[in-house]
This record gives sequence, C-alpha cells and structure tokens, in this order.
Amino acid sequence: MASYFSRVRADATRWVELGYIDGKAAAAIAADAEARDRRSLSFGSILAIMAALLFGAAILIFVAANWEAIPRLGRVGALFAVIFAGYVGGAVLKLMDHDAIAEGLWLIAAAAFGGAIALIGQMYHLSGDETQAILTWCVGTTIAAAALRSGPLTMGAVALASTWLFLVGVSFWRHADFPHVFIGIAAVLWLVSFWTRSPSSRHLLLLSLIFYGALLAGETSVLRVAPVLAALSAAVFGFAVAMPQAAERFARIDGLLPVHGLIGFLTGMVMIQIQIGDDSGSAFAITAAIILAGIVAAIVLAGRESRGLRWIAYIGFALELCMIYVVMIQGMLGTAGFFLAAGIILGLLAIAIIRIEKRMSRPGVTEGVQS
Amino acid sequence: MSGQRLVLAAVVLALVQIGFLSWIIMGRAAVLRNGQEVVLKVEPIDPRDLLRGDYVVLNYEIRNVPVAIVSNAPSDGDAARDTPIFVRLGKDDDGYWRARSASLRAPAGQPTAGEVDIRGIITSGPFGSELAYNVGYGIDRFYVPEGEGRAIETDMRERPFGVLAAIAQDGTAQIKALLDGQTPLYEEPLY
Repeated sequence: MASYFSRVRADATRWVELGYIDGKAAAAIAADAEARDRRSLSFGSILAIMAALLFGAAILIFVAANWEAIPRLGRVGALFAVIFAGYVGGAVLKLMDHDAIAEGLWLIAAAAFGGAIALIGQMYHLSGDETQAILTWCVGTTIAAAALRSGPLTMGAVALASTWLFLVGVSFWRHADFPHVFIGIAAVLWLVSFWTRSPSSRHLLLLSLIFYGALLAGETSVLRVAPVLAALSAAVFGFAVAMPQAAERFARIDGLLPVHGLIGFLTGMVMIQIQIGDDSGSAFAITAAIILAGIVAAIVLAGRESRGLRWIAYIGFALELCMIYVVMIQGMLGTAGFFLAAGIILGLLAIAIIRIEKRMSRPGVTEGVQS
Repeated sequence: MSGQRLVLAAVVLALVQIGFLSWIIMGRAAVLRNGQEVVLKVEPIDPRDLLRGDYVVLNYEIRNVPVAIVSNAPSDGDAARDTPIFVRLGKDDDGYWRARSASLRAPAGQPTAGEVDIRGIITSGPFGSELAYNVGYGIDRFYVPEGEGRAIETDMRERPFGVLAAIAQDGTAQIKALLDGQTPLYEEPLY
C-alpha cells in the first residue's frame, strides 16, 4: 500500500489540477506530510526492532540451553554486560540521532534482564512459578521504558503484562486469587505510555483489558460480569463518538477508541449469548437483537471514520448470524440446509458489505485514519 | 530529555537492574553457604521449562505432611491453599531427613539440636485415607544441561535418589546437590 506521504502528494497534485489549491500550498502540504511520515516507523527501524527481538530470543534460548562450557558466573557476567552496554550504548546512540538502533539496543538489554532472571532461577533451581518471573521482568522493563522514554520498551512491558495475564489466566485453577492486580499494572502502563508517546501500547492495553474482562466473566459469573463488560464498552464507544476530541485527549490513539469499544461490546454480548444459548427462548432472541442493533449502530455512528471498525462490525455480524442459525434453526434442517443457508447468508453479507463500502468511500467523504 | 541526563538515566537504570539481580544471587548464595544441610529422599516425574530449559521434577518424600503431625491444624484438617507451613525435620538412621512435626503459619518454638524447620506452602489437600497436606518447598526442580534430564529420570526410577539441601534460618530451602544414592551427580557452586 502507498505510504501516507505518497498518497497526500498524489492528492495534492490532483487538487492543483482541479484548481482547488495553488502550487505553493501543494508543496507545503507535501512537505508537511513527508515530515510526518518520517517521524513514524520507517522500514529501517522496523528491521532494527526485529533484529533486536531476534537477539533477545537468542539470549533467552541460550540461557535455557544451560550450556556448561561457559561457567555460570561467566554467563551471569555476560548478561550483566549486555544489560549495561545495551542501555548505556543505546542512550549514547540516541544522542547521536540513531534512534532505531538505540531502541533496538534497549530492547536487547531488556531481554537480557529477563534472561538473567531466568538464569538465576536455573542456577538455584527455583521452582516458583514462571508467572512471578515474567511479572518481575515486566516491572523492570516498565522502569526502563519510563527512565529512557522509549516507546518500544513500553510496548515490550505491555506485551509482558499481557503474557502474564494470559499465563495466570490459563493456569487459574492452580491459584487462589484472580489476577486483579492487572488493572493496577494496566493503569501504570497507560500513564507510562503517555510519557513515552506510544499509542500502540495503549491499543494492546485496551485489548488486554477486554481479555481481562472476559477472563473474569469466565471465572466468576458470565451473566454478572459480561453485561458490565458490554455496557462499559458501549459507554466507551458512546463517549468516543459523542465527544471525539475529549476521547482523543484521554486516549490519544488516533481516533480508534470506538473500535475497542465495539470489540469489548461484542466480546461481552457473545459471552452472554453462549451462556444462555441452550434454552433458545426469548432471552436469546433479545441478546441477538441487541448485538445486531449494536453492530448497525456502530457502523452508522462511526463506520465512516474508520475502516477497521467496519471490518470488526462485519466479522461480528457474520459470527452472530452463524450463532443465530445454529441455535434457532439447527433442529429443523439437515446439513444440506445449513450449507444452503450459509451460502445465502454469505451472499447477502457480501452484497451488504459491498454497498456499505461503496457508500463509505463516496467521493467527497474523507477517509479517517486506518488501523 | 537533555543528552547527559539520558545517558545518566541509562547508567542508573542498568546499575539498578544489575543490582537487583545481584541481590537475588547474594541471597541465594547465602542460603547455600550458611544453611543447615539435610538429605531428602526423592522420586522422579518430568518436563521442560520454556525459559530455563531442561529440568528434572523432584517429588519429595516430605511432600506429604499428615494432618495428624501438624500441631495447630484445625480439627477437620481444612487449610487454605498457599498457607505457609513449617515442617520440622529430623535425621533417620538411613541418612534421610523426615518430617517429625509441623506447624501452620509460624514454627512451633525452636527446633532442638539435630532438627531443622523447613518452610513450605500448602499446595492442596488434605487428601487420602490418612489425611495429608500436599506441600511445596520451592525446590521441586533440578535444572540440568540440555538433553541430560531424561537419563537421570530413568535412573531415578531404578534406584533411590536424594537431594542435599541447605535450609536457611527462616526455613527457605535451597538445593545443594542431586545425589544418586550417596554420589553427588551435580554439585552446586555458590555462584
């Protein structure tokens, strides 16, 4: 896909031809777009981050191999050296304007910190659970992100926090307490992400908060927690649509807050539906109606602003149709009937999507920021 | 952020993280250096840790602590998971240390000479005909170089294995060596 800069430049040329703006304005617009484009991640910096992730993985796996040719103290010393050289070297390179390599070095240092935690566990045969180690690693990485004001490190810390939530969540039955502490961790990381200017971290945080809600609903009571998740998400969506500027000031995620609202709403509602799915009475019909109404409302209210939101809505709509079909009609038709109905549903869906997409991209309508 | 402050922040950050890691190492080394030595009987189970590599899972004989020997256990034996338990160990004639008595939450007085308190956490229970708690001591894994775990586990099924552990004043246990009968397989240096 063409970059933002090249699209703007093509548009500006067209506007000059159409006589909307003069050549000077076009040059100024192109220059501004180019400057903005440069500030976002370039190809080189993405490669640098990927290289750093590979180095990090290499460190972790090397530790896991427990290779005896190098004495332990040597391995510990090497990791300490990587931590020190990574953080300090990265800072020096940052000052010399090598941003991408600096961020990469910081990521390697953070990985070495995690590797050192694992190595100590291995050296002293600590059997305590992995989740504790990952949490410690997450705290260390958060501190590093804040101290160095690094977006990628913030992203790393959020990823570690989400991993922790996932691991604690799936092995929940072994533990006495639900990981409520995640809310606190998420709040801290949210604040840190403002300081480090990392909107991607906030996206991941919002998704993990929805996951947290789903986990909580599954562990306690779906019918008590999932409605709260759906209602809260709907409220977030409403707030983001009604007061976009206030929402953007709060979240600063390129106007994509409604997308997260929709995902949360669908997650909560579908959980409710699965829970009450067995008795296909009026409760099921009511939730189905609420979900479909919610999806349509989302497209009408915010669909024009974001293609990402539209696609989440389509997927949700398709899944919902399948669910209604399975619960309500399953008993009456055989497999052939199901395929026939599925074909009709998909066809109708395709027509609907094509029509909506056409409408949304009518000339004169500006396409919002895309996910 | 000005240039010097960023470098300073990086140096401080690196030292804080390294310091934190060293502090953990020092604490663990201290247990090995000063702790009371005991030999515990073990049986094998298996698998592999993603971050830390191959290890042998050790199933300690003292993992089962009968409710009957726990001095302050409630009458029905019910105790919440994760409750700390202090198990008093004494040496038997065959050289292995076994549970003499135990106490929930805090040790019951000072151990006499030839006895030592090990700190564990109730992981489940009580179960069984003779009600017993399942207790974890934080020493259930022995990490080995890649690929060596399986062989040890096979051996462990054939003859008795033991663990030489060091126990600190506060009851924290730490593995010192894995014993094949009386022969240490791997001896753990302090660092």
